[in-house]
Amino acid sequence: MANKRNTFLLIWVLTAVGCLFVFLKYASPKIFQVLMAKDHPMPTPSTLMMWYMIMGVLAGLVYATTSNQKFADLLSFLLPGSGPIIKSFLQKMLFVGFPVLVGWFVYTWSIPGAASPVELRIQHPTLPQEFEKLENPFRQKDEETQRKSIEEGKILFQTYCRPCHGSKADGNGPFANSFRLRPINFQDPGTIATVVDNYLFWRIKEGGPGLPSESTPWDSAMPSWKDDLKDDEIWMIIMGEYDTAGVMPRQREKLE
Amino acid sequence: MNNVKILMMLPKRSAFVVLFILSFVLPLTLSQKMFASEAPAQVAQEGAVSGVELPQFEGGQMSGSEQSPEGQPAASVGTETAVAAEEEEVGPVQYRTFFGIDSRLVVWIVSELHLMFAAFVLGVPIFAVIVEIVGFKGGDIKYDKMAKEFTKLLSAAFATTASLGGLLGFCLFGLYPEFMGHMTNVFAPTMYVYALMFFGEAFTLYGYYYSWDILKGTAAKKWFHISLGVMLNLFGTGLMFLTNSWATYMMSPAGIVPATGKVLSLYHAMYNPLWMPVNIHRLIANVCFGGFVVGAYAAVKFLGAKTEEEKAHYDWMGYVGNFIGVGALIPLPFAGYWLGREVYSSSPVMGNIMMGGAFSWTFIIQAILIGMLFIGVNYYLWLGMGRIKGSERYTKFIKYLIFVIFLCFAVWLTPHNLPLSGEERAMIGEQYHPFSKYFGVMAAKNAVVNLIILATFFSFLIYRRSNKGEMVPFSEQGRAGKIGIFSALIFCLLMLVSYAVSLNFVELEANIKVFVNPLIRALYIQSFVVCLAAFLTFKNKGKLGQTLLFAVTACIAVLYFWYYGFQVMQKANLVLRYLSVTQVSIVMSCLIMNAIIDVFMFRKAKLVGGIVWGKMPVRSQYALLLLCIVIVILMGLMGFIRSGLRMDWHIYGVLQDTSQWAYTPTLSYMGRVVGLIVVLFLGLVTFVFWLANLGEKKEKAKAKDYNYDEAAADYENTH
Repeated sequence: MANKRNTFLLIWVLTAVGCLFVFLKYASPKIFQVLMAKDHPMPTPSTLMMWYMIMGVLAGLVYATTSNQKFADLLSFLLPGSGPIIKSFLQKMLFVGFPVLVGWFVYTWSIPGAASPVELRIQHPTLPQEFEKLENPFRQKDEETQRKSIEEGKILFQTYCRPCHGSKADGNGPFANSFRLRPINFQDPGTIATVVDNYLFWRIKEGGPGLPSESTPWDSAMPSWKDDLKDDEIWMIIMGEYDTAGVMPRQREKLE
Repeated sequence: MNNVKILMMLPKRSAFVVLFILSFVLPLTLSQKMFASEAPAQVAQEGAVSGVELPQFEGGQMSGSEQSPEGQPAASVGTETAVAAEEEEVGPVQYRTFFGIDSRLVVWIVSELHLMFAAFVLGVPIFAVIVEIVGFKGGDIKYDKMAKEFTKLLSAAFATTASLGGLLGFCLFGLYPEFMGHMTNVFAPTMYVYALMFFGEAFTLYGYYYSWDILKGTAAKKWFHISLGVMLNLFGTGLMFLTNSWATYMMSPAGIVPATGKVLSLYHAMYNPLWMPVNIHRLIANVCFGGFVVGAYAAVKFLGAKTEEEKAHYDWMGYVGNFIGVGALIPLPFAGYWLGREVYSSSPVMGNIMMGGAFSWTFIIQAILIGMLFIGVNYYLWLGMGRIKGSERYTKFIKYLIFVIFLCFAVWLTPHNLPLSGEERAMIGEQYHPFSKYFGVMAAKNAVVNLIILATFFSFLIYRRSNKGEMVPFSEQGRAGKIGIFSALIFCLLMLVSYAVSLNFVELEANIKVFVNPLIRALYIQSFVVCLAAFLTFKNKGKLGQTLLFAVTACIAVLYFWYYGFQVMQKANLVLRYLSVTQVSIVMSCLIMNAIIDVFMFRKAKLVGGIVWGKMPVRSQYALLLLCIVIVILMGLMGFIRSGLRMDWHIYGVLQDTSQWAYTPTLSYMGRVVGLIVVLFLGLVTFVFWLANLGEKKEKAKAKDYNYDEAAADYENTH
């Protein structure tokens, strides 16, 4: 005979899944707001919400079926039989609540709305082959030349890049708020620190219009600078940009 | 008498295999001759016109005027005069179509099916021989029977592998003649070796299977049989290494002059930068694949079992299949990570395409599949505890393990770039949501995959302890225990300390090298903890030693390196390579030391009850089936990624794909094709195993008749 706690296994599982939902929907946006010192909450994206909830349900089901006893306990809650009044009450709640929940999901998914579509973005567009072998000429130079190129690059960066990317290369330039997709925060270790110098050279030189045809549509407001800046100036901007952001470019590795 | 009949059948089957090989080899050699004779004439002809010596492999390409700017054949080609068309017919052909069907699709499906069967045929003998040795040394006939059953599946799948290999050869030579001309030009000598080794594989495989009953009775005979199995593995591995050199050459060509295609060094063409990482990754993956396919076979047999004895046998077989699968699955992420890093090293562009570019979403699918594998194997182990009396003492840990594994799974599949709607972007207010910012990068992925591995290992430990009761003090374990622990300790220390010492000598700039120091310290701390765990074991406190080792490993390899990975990413990406090896070494030392401590701590322990083989819920068998399906999908997906990374190149940076199929397929198209391949493979493998069992039924019936005759003869003699 299963004890009282086990008889309510289904309810415990549902409660755990409900807690996960509350955490993702309401608690985590507030927690991130505090932790990241933002003036607005950071809502959990709907795609992640869906994935995490699926995993939560799956985890509950895995737990409830790891033994025959637990599985029987899980199902026993749905069967009629003697038990405390609270069980009967929760059963009725479940039989009414579950179809209502499904109905609510169907309604919210099918109701006409004006939301923009979710885009399957990719991190790095494919660097064209002709840019792969390029080397930053200033990286190979002596320390003094490197220092000079960084200084000059910083000036060029503040002149051409600051309006969008910000004076600290943190994506908070004066024009940043006018874009639907804000300029990238280069201080983030997951951005320019993960690519080689020549990747940036390509992105600056060709900009949004030079993005490859695969994985379209792209969402980039980056202008093409090839008509305004010389190659050396672009390389210097790269030197200054990394220094401003306080990160290092990915370096080519020797094969082992 | 039966053995004689079997021997008589051998030449027939071998002849069948030889025919297959010849059918594969002949066109290969003939076409090579054709290319050899055509190429110089063609080069001379074109060279005379342009005055420039053209690379040999470009001889068949259309001239610039016949191609569109995107490299596609121009529309005007079809409207040429009859004379021109006639000339084109006699000239070398670049591409052909398969009865109007997309050539790439045909090669994709056939090669993937061939690879899947080959993975099974190469993976299973590795553990079949090990199981046979275990049975022979332990004197348990059960293992021997199971090893033979594995080999029965193998011999059934081998002919299908060879057939698919022949078909793949025909498809490649027929549909991509120019590309295969280049490959033959570079690899012709290795192709003969391949064919010869195939003979070796066929002979040793059939010899191994059909001599099973003949070569038993004495230790010498059994060892001879085992050595046949070892030879089979050597031939199989050699074959795989050879074909891997061809496949990896296409990704990271070496040993040739890229502009002319002239071969400078066959050795370097073979030993190209990605050859060894792919070899190691495939070798481990084949064992994993074979284990899970065998597990699924056992599950099907279990579900259809009529007797308790049959159920018990197939339950045990399923357990062994799962054990082999998970055993190989644990080092697989490390091998995969090494391969990934070498892809980045050989070409940063290809690396970016792979992890951050057009193929990044396929890695999210991969993450889901790998997560499902880990959940599946753990779920099976937890269900398996139900058939062990005494497991109740450990089931309390399951809920914590579920929490840890699912939490890791959540981090593991969180992408760096989330699919966001415009409204969500506006609300988040920056490029990355914190979840994707902190969970989406490699530092986090490496940390959680190590934690999943530690959790899976913990599941296995509590599984094997379930049946064990009161322990014998370690001091009473005798010399074997001391030698065992001491050997494991020496091995772990050698691994950790030697790597720590080697890190002192890495050639890096001073400002980057400082980031290596914490890794060295971490390795020394782990070395100390490993020693401490061994010391505690000697003092009869092995459990405390194990707990300490688990805790310190999790703190260093998971928590600290998660944080430190971010630091290194920002400032010194070159150190990431050393960080990941340090992480792996620390986790491996924990697994090895803990496993050895557990073995000797619970040696001679009182048994609480027993394992009731066959007493497994049906859903456990569906878990085994799920594992098989997932690993097949995973192999299909990873095959697509490995091949697709070359984008519009047959041979990356050397020979461009100018056919109309030189584009990267969409995710949905890839999903449909991989799905079709998975269905085809599972259908074929089911059919092949069914055929193998037809023979078994016949043999069983014969054995019944034979036993009846024997019994009748005995009866006559007695009376």
